Amino acid sequence: MSQNILRPDFTQLRGRSEHGSTIIAVGGGKGGVGKSFVSSSLAIFLAQLGYDTLAIDLDLGGANLHTSLGVPIKDRGINEFILDPSLKFTDITQETHWPKLKLISGSSETLNVANVDDEQRSRIMSSIARYQCDFTVLDLSAGTHLSTLDFFLMANHKVVVFTPEPSSIENAYRFLKASFFRKLRRYEFQLQLKTQIDGLMANRKAHNINSPADLMHALVKQEPILGPKLKHILEDMNFEIVLNQARTRQEIELGHALQSVCVKYFGFPCHFLGGLEYDNAVWQSLRQKNHLLMANRQTHLYAQLMAMARKIGKPRREKTAA
Amino acid sequence: MKQMNDRYEGQTYYELLEVNPQAGPSDIYLAYQRARATYSASSPALYSMFTPQEAQDLMALIEEAFQTLSHQARRTAYDQKLGLVKAPPTKPTSAYESTPAKSSSDAWIGPVKVVRRSNEELPKGFARTKFSVYEVKAELEQEIQNVQECDGLFLQKARLYKGVTLEQMSEEIRVIKATLVALESNDLDVLPVAVFCRGFVIQYARVLGLDENKVASAYMKFFKARKVVK
Repeated sequence: MSQNILRPDFTQLRGRSEHGSTIIAVGGGKGGVGKSFVSSSLAIFLAQLGYDTLAIDLDLGGANLHTSLGVPIKDRGINEFILDPSLKFTDITQETHWPKLKLISGSSETLNVANVDDEQRSRIMSSIARYQCDFTVLDLSAGTHLSTLDFFLMANHKVVVFTPEPSSIENAYRFLKASFFRKLRRYEFQLQLKTQIDGLMANRKAHNINSPADLMHALVKQEPILGPKLKHILEDMNFEIVLNQARTRQEIELGHALQSVCVKYFGFPCHFLGGLEYDNAVWQSLRQKNHLLMANRQTHLYAQLMAMARKIGKPRREKTAA
Repeated sequence: MKQMNDRYEGQTYYELLEVNPQAGPSDIYLAYQRARATYSASSPALYSMFTPQEAQDLMALIEEAFQTLSHQARRTAYDQKLGLVKAPPTKPTSAYESTPAKSSSDAWIGPVKVVRRSNEELPKGFARTKFSVYEVKAELEQEIQNVQECDGLFLQKARLYKGVTLEQMSEEIRVIKATLVALESNDLDVLPVAVFCRGFVIQYARVLGLDENKVASAYMKFFKARKVVK
Protein backbone atom coordinates (compact mmCIF):
# COMPACT_ATOMS: atom_id res chain seq x y z
CA MET A 1 0.00 0.00 0.00
CA SER A 2 1.64 3.19 -1.10
CA GLN A 3 0.97 6.16 1.10
CA ASN A 4 0.81 9.40 -0.78
CA ILE A 5 2.15 12.01 1.58
CA LEU A 6 1.11 14.91 -0.57
CA ARG A 7 -2.47 13.75 -0.66
CA PRO A 8 -3.21 12.26 2.72
CA ASP A 9 -6.40 10.37 3.23
CA PHE A 10 -8.63 12.87 4.98
CA THR A 11 -11.62 10.58 5.02
CA GLN A 12 -10.27 8.95 8.13
CA LEU A 13 -10.17 12.26 9.99
CA ARG A 14 -13.01 13.64 11.96
CA GLY A 15 -13.90 17.02 10.65
CA ARG A 16 -16.60 19.23 9.45
CA SER A 17 -15.29 19.93 5.99
CA GLU A 18 -17.76 17.67 4.27
CA HIS A 19 -21.38 17.70 4.96
CA GLY A 20 -22.55 14.60 6.76
CA SER A 21 -26.06 14.76 8.07
CA THR A 22 -28.11 16.59 10.63
CA ILE A 23 -27.67 14.58 13.78
CA ILE A 24 -30.46 14.17 16.28
CA ALA A 25 -29.54 12.61 19.61
CA VAL A 26 -32.26 11.40 21.90
CA GLY A 27 -31.16 11.08 25.51
CA GLY A 28 -32.56 11.68 28.94
CA GLY A 29 -31.16 10.17 32.06
CA LYS A 30 -33.71 7.69 33.21
CA GLY A 31 -34.56 4.39 31.62
CA GLY A 32 -38.06 3.63 30.44
CA VAL A 33 -39.04 7.18 29.61
CA GLY A 34 -39.40 6.36 25.94
CA LYS A 35 -36.09 7.32 24.38
CA SER A 36 -36.27 4.42 21.96
CA PHE A 37 -39.88 5.15 21.18
CA VAL A 38 -39.20 8.83 20.53
CA SER A 39 -36.11 8.18 18.44
CA SER A 40 -37.69 5.41 16.39
CA SER A 41 -40.78 7.51 15.79
CA LEU A 42 -38.79 10.57 14.82
CA ALA A 43 -36.73 8.46 12.45
CA ILE A 44 -39.82 6.94 10.85
CA PHE A 45 -41.55 10.27 10.44
CA LEU A 46 -38.49 11.91 8.97
CA ALA A 47 -38.20 9.00 6.56
CA GLN A 48 -41.89 9.34 5.73
CA LEU A 49 -41.36 13.02 5.04
CA GLY A 50 -38.88 11.98 2.39
CA TYR A 51 -35.56 12.39 4.12
CA ASP A 52 -32.88 9.74 3.96
CA THR A 53 -32.64 8.75 7.57
CA LEU A 54 -30.35 6.52 9.56
CA ALA A 55 -31.29 5.34 13.04
CA ILE A 56 -28.44 4.17 15.22
CA ASP A 57 -28.86 2.29 18.46
CA LEU A 58 -26.16 3.60 20.76
CA ASP A 59 -27.62 2.05 23.87
CA LEU A 60 -24.65 -0.26 23.84
CA GLY A 61 -25.54 -2.26 26.91
CA GLY A 62 -29.25 -2.60 26.35
CA ALA A 63 -30.13 -2.18 22.73
CA ASN A 64 -33.75 -2.31 21.72
CA LEU A 65 -34.27 0.13 18.91
CA HIS A 66 -34.83 -2.73 16.48
CA THR A 67 -37.70 -3.91 18.67
CA SER A 68 -39.30 -0.47 18.60
CA LEU A 69 -38.98 -0.48 14.83
CA GLY A 70 -40.30 -4.01 14.54
CA VAL A 71 -37.24 -5.23 12.67
CA PRO A 72 -35.65 -8.65 13.20
CA ILE A 73 -32.14 -8.82 14.64
CA LYS A 74 -29.41 -8.89 12.08
CA ASP A 75 -26.08 -10.57 12.58
CA ARG A 76 -24.06 -7.40 12.26
CA GLY A 77 -24.64 -4.28 14.31
CA ILE A 78 -22.80 -1.53 16.12
CA ASN A 79 -21.08 -4.05 18.40
CA GLU A 80 -19.46 -5.84 15.51
CA PHE A 81 -18.45 -2.45 14.20
CA ILE A 82 -16.70 -1.71 17.47
CA LEU A 83 -14.90 -5.03 17.56
CA ASP A 84 -13.90 -5.17 13.92
CA PRO A 85 -11.95 -2.10 12.75
CA SER A 86 -12.30 -3.05 9.10
CA LEU A 87 -16.07 -2.61 9.04
CA LYS A 88 -17.71 0.57 7.86
CA PHE A 89 -21.15 1.94 8.63
CA THR A 90 -22.34 1.04 5.17
CA ASP A 91 -21.56 -2.61 5.95
CA ILE A 92 -23.74 -2.79 9.01
CA THR A 93 -26.86 -0.85 8.05
CA GLN A 94 -30.00 -2.87 7.65
CA GLU A 95 -33.26 -2.20 5.85
CA THR A 96 -36.50 -1.51 7.66
CA HIS A 97 -40.17 -1.44 6.67
CA TRP A 98 -39.67 2.13 5.50
CA PRO A 99 -37.75 2.56 2.27
CA LYS A 100 -35.94 5.72 3.33
CA LEU A 101 -35.05 4.52 6.80
CA LYS A 102 -31.98 2.46 7.56
CA LEU A 103 -31.01 1.03 10.91
CA ILE A 104 -27.81 0.18 12.67
CA SER A 105 -28.91 -2.04 15.48
CA GLY A 106 -27.03 -2.55 18.69
CA SER A 107 -28.07 -6.00 19.67
CA SER A 108 -25.43 -8.56 20.25
CA GLU A 109 -24.49 -11.45 22.41
CA THR A 110 -21.03 -10.04 22.99
CA LEU A 111 -20.19 -9.21 26.56
CA ASN A 112 -18.39 -6.13 27.76
CA VAL A 113 -19.15 -4.11 24.67
CA ALA A 114 -21.01 -1.51 26.71
CA ASN A 115 -17.69 -0.18 27.90
CA VAL A 116 -16.14 1.40 24.85
CA ASP A 117 -12.75 3.03 25.20
CA ASP A 118 -11.85 6.47 23.91
CA GLU A 119 -10.52 5.24 20.62
CA GLN A 120 -13.58 3.17 19.83
CA ARG A 121 -15.85 6.01 20.84
CA SER A 122 -13.96 8.39 18.64
CA ARG A 123 -14.23 5.99 15.72
CA ILE A 124 -17.99 5.67 16.15
CA MET A 125 -18.37 9.43 16.38
CA SER A 126 -16.37 10.11 13.26
CA SER A 127 -18.34 7.47 11.36
CA ILE A 128 -21.57 9.10 12.46
CA ALA A 129 -20.33 12.53 11.48
CA ARG A 130 -19.25 11.35 8.03
CA TYR A 131 -22.21 9.18 7.14
CA GLN A 132 -23.99 10.71 4.15
CA CYS A 133 -27.73 11.11 4.57
CA ASP A 134 -30.23 13.77 5.61
CA PHE A 135 -30.82 12.85 9.22
CA THR A 136 -29.09 10.57 11.67
CA VAL A 137 -31.06 9.69 14.76
CA LEU A 138 -29.10 8.44 17.76
CA ASP A 139 -30.85 6.44 20.43
CA LEU A 140 -28.76 6.91 23.57
CA SER A 141 -28.57 4.86 26.72
CA ALA A 142 -29.85 5.84 30.11
CA GLY A 143 -27.47 7.28 32.64
CA THR A 144 -24.68 9.80 32.32
CA HIS A 145 -21.90 7.66 31.01
CA LEU A 146 -19.17 9.68 29.33
CA SER A 147 -19.66 8.11 25.92
CA THR A 148 -23.40 8.80 26.13
CA LEU A 149 -22.65 12.44 26.91
CA ASP A 150 -20.22 12.68 24.00
CA PHE A 151 -22.69 11.21 21.56
CA PHE A 152 -25.30 13.59 22.90
CA LEU A 153 -23.05 16.64 22.56
CA MET A 154 -22.06 15.88 18.99
CA ALA A 155 -25.65 16.20 17.80
CA ASN A 156 -27.19 19.22 16.14
CA HIS A 157 -30.49 18.53 17.85
CA LYS A 158 -30.03 17.50 21.45
CA VAL A 159 -33.36 16.05 22.38
CA VAL A 160 -34.04 15.22 26.01
CA VAL A 161 -36.98 13.03 26.91
CA PHE A 162 -38.86 13.81 30.09
CA THR A 163 -41.89 12.15 31.55
CA PRO A 164 -44.03 13.98 34.11
CA GLU A 165 -42.68 11.97 37.05
CA PRO A 166 -40.26 13.54 39.53
CA SER A 167 -37.76 10.73 39.14
CA SER A 168 -37.57 11.19 35.39
CA ILE A 169 -37.36 14.95 35.74
CA GLU A 170 -34.56 14.66 38.24
CA ASN A 171 -32.58 12.25 36.09
CA ALA A 172 -33.09 14.26 32.94
CA TYR A 173 -31.88 17.40 34.70
CA ARG A 174 -28.93 15.45 36.00
CA PHE A 175 -28.21 14.38 32.44
CA LEU A 176 -28.37 17.97 31.17
CA LYS A 177 -26.11 19.20 33.94
CA ALA A 178 -23.64 16.43 33.19
CA SER A 179 -23.58 17.31 29.49
CA PHE A 180 -23.15 20.96 30.32
CA PHE A 181 -20.14 20.25 32.49
CA ARG A 182 -18.74 17.76 30.01
CA LYS A 183 -18.73 20.45 27.36
CA LEU A 184 -17.46 23.04 29.82
CA ARG A 185 -14.53 20.81 30.77
CA ARG A 186 -13.59 20.36 27.13
CA TYR A 187 -13.59 24.05 26.28
CA GLU A 188 -12.28 25.47 29.52
CA PHE A 189 -9.13 23.54 28.76
CA GLN A 190 -8.92 24.84 25.21
CA LEU A 191 -9.49 28.41 26.26
CA GLN A 192 -7.22 28.03 29.27
CA LEU A 193 -9.89 29.03 31.69
CA LYS A 194 -9.60 25.98 33.87
CA THR A 195 -7.90 27.72 36.77
CA GLN A 196 -10.41 30.55 36.78
CA ILE A 197 -13.37 28.19 36.66
CA ASP A 198 -11.94 25.95 39.34
CA GLY A 199 -11.29 29.03 41.44
CA LEU A 200 -14.87 30.19 41.01
CA MET A 201 -16.24 26.76 41.77
CA ALA A 202 -14.10 26.46 44.89
CA ASN A 203 -15.57 29.70 46.21
CA ARG A 204 -19.11 29.06 45.12
CA LYS A 205 -20.57 30.57 48.27
CA ALA A 206 -18.64 33.80 47.96
CA HIS A 207 -19.55 34.22 44.31
CA ASN A 208 -23.13 33.08 44.78
CA ILE A 209 -22.88 30.34 42.22
CA ASN A 210 -25.79 27.95 42.29
CA SER A 211 -26.27 27.23 38.64
CA PRO A 212 -24.43 27.26 35.32
CA ALA A 213 -26.03 30.61 34.58
CA ASP A 214 -24.40 32.02 37.74
CA LEU A 215 -21.07 30.48 36.85
CA MET A 216 -21.08 31.99 33.38
CA HIS A 217 -22.15 35.33 34.75
CA ALA A 218 -19.30 35.36 37.27
CA LEU A 219 -16.83 34.18 34.65
CA VAL A 220 -17.80 36.86 32.16
CA LYS A 221 -17.26 39.44 34.88
CA GLN A 222 -13.84 38.08 35.72
CA GLU A 223 -12.67 37.35 32.18
CA PRO A 224 -14.18 39.93 29.88
CA ILE A 225 -12.64 38.50 26.70
CA LEU A 226 -12.48 34.74 27.04
CA GLY A 227 -15.53 34.49 29.30
CA PRO A 228 -18.03 35.62 26.67
CA LYS A 229 -16.33 33.37 24.14
CA LEU A 230 -16.86 30.32 26.29
CA LYS A 231 -20.36 31.45 27.04
CA HIS A 232 -21.06 31.72 23.35
CA ILE A 233 -19.73 28.23 22.73
CA LEU A 234 -21.85 26.80 25.49
CA GLU A 235 -24.93 28.62 24.27
CA ASP A 236 -24.81 26.41 21.20
CA MET A 237 -26.06 23.55 23.30
CA ASN A 238 -29.64 24.51 22.86
CA PHE A 239 -31.39 21.52 24.47
CA GLU A 240 -34.70 20.45 23.00
CA ILE A 241 -37.26 19.07 25.38
CA VAL A 242 -39.77 16.34 24.65
CA LEU A 243 -42.38 15.52 27.23
CA ASN A 244 -43.45 11.92 26.83
CA GLN A 245 -46.28 9.96 28.44
CA ALA A 246 -48.39 12.94 29.39
CA ARG A 247 -51.64 11.61 30.81
CA THR A 248 -53.61 14.79 30.27
CA ARG A 249 -53.42 17.79 28.04
CA GLN A 250 -52.59 19.88 31.10
CA GLU A 251 -49.55 17.78 31.70
CA ILE A 252 -48.21 18.79 28.32
CA GLU A 253 -48.06 22.32 29.72
CA LEU A 254 -45.34 21.01 32.00
CA GLY A 255 -43.08 21.04 28.95
CA HIS A 256 -43.16 24.83 28.92
CA ALA A 257 -42.30 24.87 32.58
CA LEU A 258 -39.34 22.57 31.98
CA GLN A 259 -38.17 24.80 29.16
CA SER A 260 -38.38 27.87 31.33
CA VAL A 261 -36.50 26.23 34.19
CA CYS A 262 -33.75 25.08 31.83
CA VAL A 263 -33.43 28.54 30.33
CA LYS A 264 -33.18 30.15 33.75
CA TYR A 265 -30.88 27.53 35.14
CA PHE A 266 -28.42 27.14 32.28
CA GLY A 267 -28.74 30.65 30.95
CA PHE A 268 -29.01 29.69 27.29
CA PRO A 269 -31.99 29.06 25.05
CA CYS A 270 -33.74 25.69 25.28
CA HIS A 271 -36.80 24.69 23.32
CA PHE A 272 -39.86 22.69 24.06
CA LEU A 273 -40.11 20.50 21.01
CA GLY A 274 -43.45 18.96 21.85
CA GLY A 275 -45.49 16.80 24.15
CA LEU A 276 -46.62 13.24 23.52
CA GLU A 277 -49.69 11.79 25.10
CA TYR A 278 -49.69 8.50 26.89
CA ASP A 279 -51.24 5.91 24.65
CA ASN A 280 -51.85 2.26 25.38
CA ALA A 281 -51.52 1.54 21.70
CA VAL A 282 -47.77 2.04 22.01
CA TRP A 283 -47.50 -0.75 24.52
CA GLN A 284 -49.77 -3.00 22.52
CA SER A 285 -47.92 -2.50 19.28
CA LEU A 286 -44.62 -3.14 21.04
CA ARG A 287 -45.97 -6.46 22.21
CA GLN A 288 -46.80 -7.35 18.65
CA LYS A 289 -43.34 -6.20 17.61
CA ASN A 290 -44.92 -3.77 15.30
CA HIS A 291 -44.53 -0.04 15.25
CA LEU A 292 -47.50 1.94 16.36
CA LEU A 293 -47.45 4.00 13.21
CA MET A 294 -47.95 1.01 10.96
CA ALA A 295 -51.53 0.61 12.06
CA ASN A 296 -52.73 3.65 13.94
CA ARG A 297 -53.05 7.01 12.32
CA GLN A 298 -56.11 8.41 14.01
CA THR A 299 -54.48 9.13 17.34
CA HIS A 300 -53.34 12.34 18.98
CA LEU A 301 -49.98 10.73 19.33
CA TYR A 302 -49.62 10.43 15.57
CA ALA A 303 -50.33 14.11 15.07
CA GLN A 304 -48.01 15.12 17.90
CA LEU A 305 -45.15 13.05 16.51
CA MET A 306 -45.76 14.40 13.04
CA ALA A 307 -45.64 17.97 14.35
CA MET A 308 -42.37 17.21 16.07
CA ALA A 309 -40.78 15.65 13.00
CA ARG A 310 -41.87 18.63 10.91
CA LYS A 311 -40.30 21.03 13.38
CA ILE A 312 -37.00 19.24 13.06
CA GLY A 313 -37.31 18.49 9.38
CA LYS A 314 -38.28 21.86 7.98
CA PRO A 315 -35.73 24.44 8.93
CA ARG A 316 -32.33 23.16 8.00
CA ARG A 317 -30.28 24.55 10.80
CA GLU A 318 -26.70 25.50 10.52
CA LYS A 319 -24.39 22.80 11.63
CA THR A 320 -22.60 23.53 14.85
CA ALA A 321 -19.51 21.81 16.04
CA ALA A 322 -20.01 19.96 19.29
CA MET B 1 -33.26 38.47 46.29
CA LYS B 2 -30.09 40.41 45.71
CA GLN B 3 -28.47 37.29 44.39
CA MET B 4 -31.26 36.75 41.90
CA ASN B 5 -30.94 40.31 40.77
CA ASP B 6 -27.26 39.72 40.24
CA ARG B 7 -27.80 36.60 38.25
CA TYR B 8 -30.26 38.14 35.89
CA GLU B 9 -28.76 41.59 35.78
CA GLY B 10 -28.48 42.77 32.23
CA GLN B 11 -31.48 40.69 31.23
CA THR B 12 -34.43 42.56 29.90
CA TYR B 13 -37.94 41.99 31.14
CA TYR B 14 -38.59 40.27 27.85
CA GLU B 15 -35.82 37.79 28.50
CA LEU B 16 -37.07 37.20 32.00
CA LEU B 17 -40.55 36.43 30.74
CA GLU B 18 -39.06 34.55 27.79
CA VAL B 19 -41.09 36.41 25.22
CA ASN B 20 -40.24 38.20 22.03
CA PRO B 21 -39.98 42.00 22.33
CA GLN B 22 -42.66 42.17 19.64
CA ALA B 23 -45.02 39.92 21.61
CA GLY B 24 -48.58 41.13 21.96
CA PRO B 25 -50.41 41.55 25.26
CA SER B 26 -51.97 38.09 25.07
CA ASP B 27 -48.58 36.44 24.55
CA ILE B 28 -47.20 38.30 27.52
CA TYR B 29 -50.12 37.25 29.63
CA LEU B 30 -49.71 33.64 28.55
CA ALA B 31 -45.99 33.71 29.34
CA TYR B 32 -46.76 35.18 32.74
CA GLN B 33 -49.35 32.51 33.50
CA ARG B 34 -46.86 29.85 32.50
CA ALA B 35 -44.14 31.36 34.65
CA ARG B 36 -46.51 31.44 37.59
CA ALA B 37 -47.28 27.77 37.16
CA THR B 38 -43.59 26.98 36.70
CA TYR B 39 -42.28 28.77 39.77
CA SER B 40 -45.07 27.94 42.16
CA ALA B 41 -43.95 25.90 45.16
CA SER B 42 -45.72 22.74 43.99
CA SER B 43 -44.32 22.73 40.47
CA PRO B 44 -42.60 19.46 39.57
CA ALA B 45 -40.43 21.23 37.00
CA LEU B 46 -38.31 22.86 39.70
CA TYR B 47 -37.30 19.61 41.27
CA SER B 48 -33.54 19.45 41.86
CA MET B 49 -32.89 22.68 39.98
CA PHE B 50 -34.11 25.56 42.11
CA THR B 51 -34.81 25.74 45.81
CA PRO B 52 -38.22 27.10 46.86
CA GLN B 53 -36.49 30.28 47.99
CA GLU B 54 -34.84 30.76 44.63
CA ALA B 55 -38.10 30.06 42.86
CA GLN B 56 -39.80 32.67 44.99
CA ASP B 57 -37.14 35.26 44.21
CA LEU B 58 -37.37 34.46 40.54
CA MET B 59 -41.11 34.81 40.66
CA ALA B 60 -40.72 38.25 42.22
CA LEU B 61 -38.55 39.29 39.28
CA ILE B 62 -41.03 37.87 36.81
CA GLU B 63 -43.83 39.66 38.62
CA GLU B 64 -41.91 42.90 38.26
CA ALA B 65 -41.39 42.23 34.56
CA PHE B 66 -45.06 41.53 34.06
CA GLN B 67 -46.10 44.66 35.93
CA THR B 68 -44.20 46.70 33.39
CA LEU B 69 -44.91 44.76 30.22
CA SER B 70 -48.60 44.27 30.84
CA HIS B 71 -49.18 48.00 31.06
CA GLN B 72 -49.13 49.72 27.75
CA ALA B 73 -47.77 53.08 28.84
CA ARG B 74 -45.17 51.56 31.14
CA ARG B 75 -44.16 49.11 28.45
CA THR B 76 -43.73 51.88 25.90
CA ALA B 77 -41.61 53.85 28.35
CA TYR B 78 -39.55 50.75 29.06
CA ASP B 79 -39.10 50.05 25.35
CA GLN B 80 -37.85 53.57 24.90
CA LYS B 81 -35.40 53.07 27.72
CA LEU B 82 -34.15 49.91 26.07
CA GLY B 83 -33.94 51.69 22.75
CA LEU B 84 -36.38 49.28 21.12
CA VAL B 85 -38.55 52.12 19.89
CA LYS B 86 -37.82 55.76 19.33
CA ALA B 87 -39.41 58.26 21.62
CA PRO B 88 -42.49 59.65 19.94
CA PRO B 89 -41.94 63.07 18.41
CA THR B 90 -43.87 65.82 20.08
CA LYS B 91 -45.83 66.48 16.91
CA PRO B 92 -48.07 63.74 15.61
CA THR B 93 -46.30 61.71 12.93
CA SER B 94 -49.15 60.57 10.77
CA ALA B 95 -49.59 62.75 7.75
CA TYR B 96 -53.29 62.60 8.21
CA GLU B 97 -53.14 63.79 11.78
CA SER B 98 -50.81 66.63 11.07
CA THR B 99 -52.92 68.24 8.40
CA PRO B 100 -55.49 70.34 10.16
CA ALA B 101 -59.12 69.83 9.26
CA LYS B 102 -60.00 71.82 6.17
CA SER B 103 -62.84 73.81 7.58
CA SER B 104 -61.03 74.85 10.67
CA SER B 105 -58.91 77.89 10.99
CA ASP B 106 -57.08 76.01 13.73
CA ALA B 107 -58.39 78.36 16.31
CA TRP B 108 -60.86 75.96 17.78
CA ILE B 109 -58.40 73.13 18.34
CA GLY B 110 -56.96 74.09 21.64
CA PRO B 111 -53.76 72.58 22.95
CA VAL B 112 -54.65 68.95 23.30
CA LYS B 113 -53.52 67.40 26.49
CA VAL B 114 -54.04 63.70 26.86
CA VAL B 115 -54.37 62.69 30.46
CA ARG B 116 -55.33 59.54 32.26
CA ARG B 117 -58.76 59.47 33.71
CA SER B 118 -58.60 60.92 37.18
CA ASN B 119 -61.05 62.21 39.65
CA GLU B 120 -59.57 65.58 40.26
CA GLU B 121 -61.75 68.59 39.73
CA LEU B 122 -61.38 70.32 36.39
CA PRO B 123 -61.15 74.07 36.10
CA LYS B 124 -64.29 75.77 34.92
CA GLY B 125 -64.88 75.63 31.21
CA PHE B 126 -63.19 72.25 30.77
CA ALA B 127 -64.66 68.81 30.31
CA ARG B 128 -63.21 65.35 29.78
CA THR B 129 -63.68 62.27 27.69
CA LYS B 130 -62.25 58.91 28.51
CA PHE B 131 -58.96 59.92 26.96
CA SER B 132 -58.67 63.64 27.22
CA VAL B 133 -59.48 66.91 28.82
CA TYR B 134 -60.70 69.63 26.51
CA GLU B 135 -61.82 73.18 26.71
CA VAL B 136 -65.53 73.58 26.16
CA LYS B 137 -66.28 75.83 23.22
CA ALA B 138 -69.86 77.03 23.28
CA GLU B 139 -69.95 77.62 19.54
CA LEU B 140 -68.97 74.06 18.71
CA GLU B 141 -71.20 72.56 21.35
CA GLN B 142 -74.02 74.44 19.75
CA GLU B 143 -73.15 73.09 16.34
CA ILE B 144 -73.03 69.54 17.62
CA GLN B 145 -76.27 70.06 19.45
CA ASN B 146 -78.13 71.22 16.34
CA VAL B 147 -76.74 68.72 13.89
CA GLN B 148 -79.26 67.48 11.33
CA GLU B 149 -77.10 65.98 8.63
CA CYS B 150 -73.39 65.48 9.00
CA ASP B 151 -70.48 63.96 7.14
CA GLY B 152 -67.15 62.49 8.16
CA LEU B 153 -65.51 65.85 8.40
CA PHE B 154 -67.96 66.80 11.09
CA LEU B 155 -67.09 63.65 13.01
CA GLN B 156 -63.42 64.44 12.68
CA LYS B 157 -63.98 67.96 13.82
CA ALA B 158 -65.79 66.71 16.88
CA ARG B 159 -63.06 64.22 17.61
CA LEU B 160 -60.28 66.77 17.33
CA TYR B 161 -62.25 69.19 19.42
CA LYS B 162 -62.50 66.58 22.14
CA GLY B 163 -58.80 65.80 21.81
CA VAL B 164 -59.09 62.10 21.08
CA THR B 165 -56.50 60.65 18.70
CA LEU B 166 -57.25 58.24 15.90
CA GLU B 167 -55.18 55.55 17.60
CA GLN B 168 -57.14 55.84 20.80
CA MET B 169 -60.40 55.74 18.90
CA SER B 170 -59.32 52.74 16.85
CA GLU B 171 -58.18 50.88 19.94
CA GLU B 172 -61.30 51.70 21.89
CA ILE B 173 -63.99 50.84 19.36
CA ARG B 174 -61.97 48.05 17.70
CA VAL B 175 -62.18 49.49 14.21
CA ILE B 176 -58.98 49.63 12.21
CA LYS B 177 -57.48 53.01 11.60
CA ALA B 178 -57.82 52.80 7.84
CA THR B 179 -61.58 52.49 8.17
CA LEU B 180 -61.74 55.42 10.54
CA VAL B 181 -59.70 57.52 8.14
CA ALA B 182 -62.08 56.57 5.35
CA LEU B 183 -65.04 57.43 7.54
CA GLU B 184 -63.68 60.84 8.41
CA SER B 185 -62.65 61.67 4.86
CA ASN B 186 -65.96 60.60 3.33
CA ASP B 187 -64.31 57.87 1.31
CA LEU B 188 -67.46 55.81 0.99
CA ASP B 189 -66.01 53.29 -1.44
CA VAL B 190 -63.74 51.94 1.22
CA LEU B 191 -66.43 51.77 3.86
CA PRO B 192 -68.55 48.69 4.40
CA VAL B 193 -72.31 48.55 3.98
CA ALA B 194 -74.61 51.03 5.74
CA VAL B 195 -75.45 48.92 8.75
CA PHE B 196 -71.79 48.58 9.73
CA CYS B 197 -71.10 52.25 9.18
CA ARG B 198 -73.97 53.12 11.42
CA GLY B 199 -72.50 50.88 14.07
CA PHE B 200 -69.14 52.56 13.75
CA VAL B 201 -70.64 56.03 14.05
CA ILE B 202 -72.62 55.05 17.12
CA GLN B 203 -69.49 53.74 18.82
CA TYR B 204 -67.53 56.73 17.69
CA ALA B 205 -70.07 59.16 19.07
CA ARG B 206 -70.25 57.29 22.34
CA VAL B 207 -66.51 57.63 22.89
CA LEU B 208 -66.76 61.35 22.28
CA GLY B 209 -69.71 61.66 24.62
CA LEU B 210 -72.08 62.85 21.90
CA ASP B 211 -75.71 61.93 21.51
CA GLU B 212 -75.13 58.75 19.59
CA ASN B 213 -78.58 58.30 18.06
CA LYS B 214 -78.73 61.84 16.86
CA VAL B 215 -75.27 61.77 15.34
CA ALA B 216 -75.86 58.36 13.78
CA SER B 217 -79.10 59.34 12.10
CA ALA B 218 -77.56 62.59 10.95
CA TYR B 219 -74.65 60.71 9.45
CA MET B 220 -76.83 58.09 7.82
CA LYS B 221 -78.81 60.81 6.06
CA PHE B 222 -75.60 61.99 4.48
CA PHE B 223 -74.44 58.44 3.78
CA LYS B 224 -77.62 57.39 2.01
CA ALA B 225 -77.82 60.57 0.00
CA ARG B 226 -74.29 60.08 -1.25
CA LYS B 227 -74.76 56.42 -2.03
CA VAL B 228 -77.93 57.07 -4.05
CA VAL B 229 -76.38 59.89 -6.03
CA LYS B 230 -73.64 57.54 -7.05
